[in-house]
Formats: sequence, C-alpha cells, structure tokens
Amino acid sequence: MMNIISDAFGLVFTTDVMIAILLSSIYGLVVGSLPGLSATMATALLVPVTFYLSPIAAIATIISASAMAIFSGDIPGALLRIPGTPASAAYTDEAYAMTRKGQAELALGAGLWFSALGGIAGTLSLMLLAPPLAEIALQFSTYEYFWLAFLGLMCATLVARSSPVKAIVSMLLGLMISAVGMENAGGIPRFTFGLPDLLGGIEPIPALVGVFAVSELMRAMVSPEPPQLPRRKFGSILAGQLKLTKKYWWPMTRGNIVGIIIGVLPGAGADMAAWVSYAMSKRFSKEREKFGTGHVEGLVEAGASNNASLASGWVPALLFGVPGDTITAIAIGVLYMKGLNPGPTLFTEKASSMYALYIIFILANIIMIPLGIWMIRGASFVLRAPRAGIMPVILLCCAVGSFATGNSLFAILTVAAFGIMGYVMEANGYPVAAMVLGIVMGTMFEQSFVTSLIKSDGSLLPFFERPVSAVLAALAIGALAWPLLIWLWRRARPMPVRA
Amino acid sequence: MKLSDRVTGLFFCGLGGISAIAGSKLPPVPGQEIGPSVFPMVVGGAMALCGVMIAFGIGHKFEEEAEADLAAVGMSEPEPTRGPIYSLRLLVPPALLAFYVIAIDQLGFFLTAAAMVFVLSTMLGGRLRLSLPLALIAPIGLHLIFGKLLRVPLPAGLIPLPW
Repeated sequence: MMNIISDAFGLVFTTDVMIAILLSSIYGLVVGSLPGLSATMATALLVPVTFYLSPIAAIATIISASAMAIFSGDIPGALLRIPGTPASAAYTDEAYAMTRKGQAELALGAGLWFSALGGIAGTLSLMLLAPPLAEIALQFSTYEYFWLAFLGLMCATLVARSSPVKAIVSMLLGLMISAVGMENAGGIPRFTFGLPDLLGGIEPIPALVGVFAVSELMRAMVSPEPPQLPRRKFGSILAGQLKLTKKYWWPMTRGNIVGIIIGVLPGAGADMAAWVSYAMSKRFSKEREKFGTGHVEGLVEAGASNNASLASGWVPALLFGVPGDTITAIAIGVLYMKGLNPGPTLFTEKASSMYALYIIFILANIIMIPLGIWMIRGASFVLRAPRAGIMPVILLCCAVGSFATGNSLFAILTVAAFGIMGYVMEANGYPVAAMVLGIVMGTMFEQSFVTSLIKSDGSLLPFFERPVSAVLAALAIGALAWPLLIWLWRRARPMPVRA
Repeated sequence: MKLSDRVTGLFFCGLGGISAIAGSKLPPVPGQEIGPSVFPMVVGGAMALCGVMIAFGIGHKFEEEAEADLAAVGMSEPEPTRGPIYSLRLLVPPALLAFYVIAIDQLGFFLTAAAMVFVLSTMLGGRLRLSLPLALIAPIGLHLIFGKLLRVPLPAGLIPLPW
C-alpha cells in the first residue's frame, strides 16, 4: 500500500507533469473566464495536445484545466452578469448583485474558496467511493453494463434543461452516430454511404469540438459583443472567507454532498449541481428573503457544489466507462488513448495511476487558490480582449487540433458539420450534451446490448433476472417514466408552482 | 434558425424510420440471429416514435420553463434581428474550416491559417490594426506548438516556416 502511494507521488512529481498542471491551469482559468467559452470546450480543445503527453501528464491537464475553468466562470458572472461557463449561470444574478453592493471581493473570494474546498471534498468522495464500488463492479456481466449505460443515457436526458422528449431524441441521434462504421457484431460497414473515411466510424473528439466550439463561434457571429469590463482594483480576495466557512458550514457541506451525488449520477454534471444547490440553498435558508439581493449564502452552496461534482463525476467514468458529465466524457477518450482503459480492474492493476489521479486533483484544487487570486486581479485585463482577437484563434485551434487527432483532413470536415448540427439543435431546444453522451457511450451500449442478446438467445428475460441488473433496470425504467409522472402530477394539481 | 417543433419532429421521425429500415437490410452474421441490424432498428424505431411525439408538442411545457429560468439570468438566445442575409454570417466559421481542407495542400499552413484568422477577425468587427498582426502571429504560434513541438505534419506549401 505505502509502496503504491510512494509510486504515485513519484508519477506526479515529475517536471513534465508539474509543467502540464501549471500551464493547463492558466489555460483553464483564462478560457473559463471568457464568456461563451465553456469548461467543456476548454477541455475538448486540450485533447489533441494530450496525445503527445505521458499518460499522467495527459490526465493532469484535463483535471486541472476543467477544475480551473469551472471556478473561473464565476468571474465574468460576478463582474459583468455574464456567466463564463454554464455552471455559473445559476448564481450569476446573486454574484452581480453583490458586486453592485460593493462586495465584489467577497463574491469572487467565496467562489474561489468554496470551489477549492468543494473540489477537495469531491476528490475525497472519489477516493472513498471508487474502491468499494470497484469490488461490486467486478461481478458485473454484460447485463449490468447494459443497464448502467442505459441509466447513464436516461439521466443525461432527465437533467437536460429542456423537453425530455427532445433530450431523448438528441441522445438517440448520438447513438445513431456511434453506429456508423465497422465496429459492430458483424464487422460490416454500416451507414458509411460508401465513404472510406467513415469505415472507422465518427471520432468523438472532432464531433465534440464541433458541437462545443464551432457552434459557439457561429453564435458569436450573430450576437452582439459582450460589454467591456471597467478597470478596477480589488481589495483582499480571501478576507472573511474563514468566517463565512464557519457561518455557512452546513450549506457548504450540503452543497458538497449534493454536488457529489449529482456528479456520480451518470450524465449529470456541474451545471446541474449548481442549479440544484442554489435552489436548495434558497429553499432551506433562514434568510430566504435576502436571496437575489446580493446574499452570499447561495453562492457558498452552489460554488461548493459545482466543483465537488467535477471530481465525483470521475467515479462512474473510471469504474464503468460511463461518463459522469460531458467533461468526463472527454476524459474517458483520453484514458482509453493512454492505455488506462476504464473498468474495475483499473484499481487493482493500475493502482498507482489511480492514486496519482487523486493527488493531481488535490494539487489542482490547492493551486487554484493562488492562481485564482491572480486571475481575479488580472480579469479586467483578460476580459478586455476583444472577441475579434480570440475567436479566430479558437477557430484555428479547432482545425489544427482535430487534424492532429488522426492526421486526417476528414476530421476537420467532421468538426464543421457538427458545428452546424450543434448550432441548429441548440437553437431548437435539442440539448447537445445528451447527443454527445450518446456518441461517447454508443459503442459500449451497443456492445453490451448485443452481447447480452446473443447470450440470452434473443430473449429479454435474463436482462431482469440477476439481482443487480434488476435494480438497475428498475432505476432506468423509472428515469424513463419520470417526466410522465411529473406531467401527471401537474395534471392532478391545476395550479403549477413556479420556483 | 428557429424551426417549428412540427418540422424538427417530422425530420427525426423520418430519420429514425429510414435508419431502422436501412438497418434491417444489413446482412446478418451467418448462423446467428442477432447481428449488426438490431441496434439501428431499436434506436431508429425509438427515434421515429419520439419524433412523432415532438411533432404533436408533447413535452413542450418543460422547455418553456427552462427558457424562463435562463431568460431570468440573461442567458437566453438573442433572436437575430437583422434579416436573413445577416444570418448567413453564421456559416462563416464552418465555411472557413472547409476552406482549410480545400486549400491546405496547395497554399500550405501559414497562408491558409493567416487567411482564416484575418477573415474571421475582420467579420467580428476587428480593425486592421488588430486583425493583420493577429493573422501573422496566430499561425506562427500554432505552428510552433503543433508543428514544431508536437510534430503534427502541417504542409509547408508556398511559404514554409523556417523551423
């Protein structure tokens, strides 16, 4: 055991990993703070670079960039009332109200401090939850994996802030996209339209870059430039945070727990955690009337929650290859690429790599505090960068980055096509995150489904016979029926309650 | 690009139906009932069903609530107001990517990338003072990272970079 831990420290504390953590942290902070550039997009654009790094350095870049970007999204939210990433949207109004009251330091400091604490809490949950779950997962057969994948896909549609039917269609479209190519039970070309480039299937990374980055560029083409930030000096950022921690330790803990639970749920990520925790904070607060007028309590709880969910999202990703959110969906691709194939055996065979991952998480959340303070102080400088200077560089990164994933120009066309698709879908209320999870999980979903069917000779009964699979099946079917139940319940009560 | 639910619903209904039918025609694995056709048939069938539901407006209520939440924090989609020609600007980023694919082998990385950056920067309202230096620096910087450091084979074309 000690051996493994010292091995893990040896893996992390090398020059290349340290440089990777530092550079990707700065990258994450800058990209996350720019309105319209989300944490997922920051991570997706990093993947081509991770191709060329050692496995631990590659994972370190993903972990630190995403954690920093989620925090950094709070900065333009508090200063400009424009959330930098969707995960900050839930409490942007509250933070901006604090800035107008002259409490910008307190709002940003709370975002930073409770993000870091939340990230560490999430990491602890990952360390505690993953090994016992791995024990259970060792006994899983294809039936359990089928239901797990199904449950993950259904959760992704449940948490989408849109019509559940549209979310399901998006998810199905993702599954259909994953069906393209030769990787199927018969090994025959499927939906390739005679194009040799499609024989290997549609690569998830170019699709992700298209959906998250190019569609954002397209949106920038027709939307007005965000307002510039007036220069300002900040006082002490961390002053008063310890007092807040003591005063609001229970909302903070509740935020951590909710964030962890939402993160572990396949498909639901940081944005959802922030919305739920902010709503909970308001519901259970003793000073509910202060919410919306610049009250820090909701910020504490939601800020703690979204960063906690980020770490616990790795639990299903590492154990089952089922992503906890769109960021871990990207991370899974990187894990496969680096020979760290997700699965319960990862914790026995590659134990030192897993401990290295925990150490990186803790490190990233610790250096978030000094780097975050610099970022807040430098925000008026970064946020002055005009869109005409940033977007062209992003476009070029999309082209070169996706080309680098396979040295194929076809990947760039995939990026362009998915950009258009993502834009049209988003404009019509079809959540793209659900489609992305469909694409990422499609192959695993089909494999577990078809293998199970072959084993059972086409009968559906064995899908429900094993105890664990029966429980998972019940959960999955419950998730499918949930929107229907809500609808029926509202039918029964004619006056709907609006939060 | 706001289309009615009827249009998108029927589109997905058609796409699902076609996929299911095309999937069912895939050749089976000899001696084995379950093969590559099962998955597209199940997914396509479900998609067609959901498409019909969307066309009939089922679930639309959930969407309105989510939009109201987002509108409250000013994150809802601003409707393009300047008419259809202005909306064509949307297609500039994907078109520039297509341009990259067509031009890269003849023009080489530097010229293609510089042209892309210049066009996009100018169209986003960047002045010459910004877009010209950016078109010079961004390709060189990215070539240093991807071409030199990560050894991605970027074609040299007409203007090879000195490293």
